[in-house]
Amino acid sequence: RGGGMKGGSKVTVEPHRHEGVFIAKGKEDALVTKNLVPGEAVYNEKRVSVQFDLMIEYFTLFSCTNRAHVNIYCAQYDVDEACRLAGWQFNEDGTKVEYRVWNPFRSKLAAAILGGVDNIHIKPGAKVLYLGAASGTTVSHVSDVVGPTGVVYAVEFSHRSGRDLVNMAKKRTNIIPIIEDARHPAKYRMLVGMVDVIFADVAQPDQARIVALNASYFLKTEGHFVISIKANCIDSTASAEAVFAQEVKKLQADQLKPKEQVTLEPFERDHACVVGEYRASKKKK
Amino acid sequence: MTLYLLYESASGYALFQAHGLDEIGQNTEAVRSSVTDINRFGKVAKLVGFNPFDSALDALNQCNAVSEGQMTDELRSFLDLSLPKVKEGKKPKFSVGVAEPKLGSHIYEVTKIPCQSNEFVLELLRGVRLHFNTFIANLKPGDLEKAQLGLGHSYSRAKVKFNVNRVDNMVI
Repeated sequence: RGGGMKGGSKVTVEPHRHEGVFIAKGKEDALVTKNLVPGEAVYNEKRVSVQFDLMIEYFTLFSCTNRAHVNIYCAQYDVDEACRLAGWQFNEDGTKVEYRVWNPFRSKLAAAILGGVDNIHIKPGAKVLYLGAASGTTVSHVSDVVGPTGVVYAVEFSHRSGRDLVNMAKKRTNIIPIIEDARHPAKYRMLVGMVDVIFADVAQPDQARIVALNASYFLKTEGHFVISIKANCIDSTASAEAVFAQEVKKLQADQLKPKEQVTLEPFERDHACVVGEYRASKKKK
Repeated sequence: MTLYLLYESASGYALFQAHGLDEIGQNTEAVRSSVTDINRFGKVAKLVGFNPFDSALDALNQCNAVSEGQMTDELRSFLDLSLPKVKEGKKPKFSVGVAEPKLGSHIYEVTKIPCQSNEFVLELLRGVRLHFNTFIANLKPGDLEKAQLGLGHSYSRAKVKFNVNRVDNMVI
């Protein structure tokens, strides 16, 4: 069984500074998102949850030795209080809350969060256009973060990874899979509404143009963009810093006003994540 | 010269008439500010007609056609029905703003309805996209997303043409 953080019952989960993101504190801390579909892993990632055997372990402390005892215990004491003490959480409908571990080595957005980015703008209820969705590993975490009231429009051109994306989206109804070229937003204009955030991880030399074009169709005025830039993909001859500066200039020319930039070291080499605002109002000057 | 706007949504085709454009002018900055605020944009764009798709299959056919810049028979009859009639031998006193030039030229070839597609039209269509829910009274919050979800899945599934067992067809 892959689920559960090893190290026993003493895993507690705390909210991260970014709304919708959490930190699991056990033997080692891990970045996690609340699983929209408890019981299901997307890419064999570890999951943190309340498991019945762990519960037994906990109740043992209160001299219960088997399930029957637990039932007796539950009848006598305040289970909510016991769970609170143990750091276990349940949804309002009584189903258990499960978290999925978000690996910064596999997801640039997770790397940016651990890199200390000030604001990812992706939060519960947000509508996100995700360009370069690949097989959907990061998309699944974005889907966790925006939750049932949010929407993720996930665009991926490669049919091979698109297939995994479509399959994954079947179980997560807040993801709208779009197998189409992000260079031609007109082709998928029927499928996408106005969004609050564009996230782009397309690793193409003309990615600034791709993001600007998509923003002109779908991004709200004063909406935000989050772009992961891989220096090598844009110009492998210039230094990474020079490439980042050049990309930032391109973005500015298209009314995508960069607000902050973090490097994704130590998780990715020569990567930067740029966050900014689209058509920022001028009066704030 | 009246300007109409064609908007293709996941739940159906919609046609809007643009008003008071002379006052706003073609100045993009002014257009932008009038697009964001629904109170102002509601006066700029008025819904003329809405043609919901019959079924999921119909929606998929329309979506494929729109994506390729083709006009379907359904779109043609919707335009014929919603736009003012043009008398034989006379030039139409209106044009239709469309999101993509290819679709526009196809519409013009077949029906002789003049179409335009430029920055100004795209800016107005941004406004329609932003406020679409408020224009269509029958559309409850979340309905459009449901339509997008269904259509996104069927559109993408057709694109990847996968075989569910993940066995790749080898290229010989």
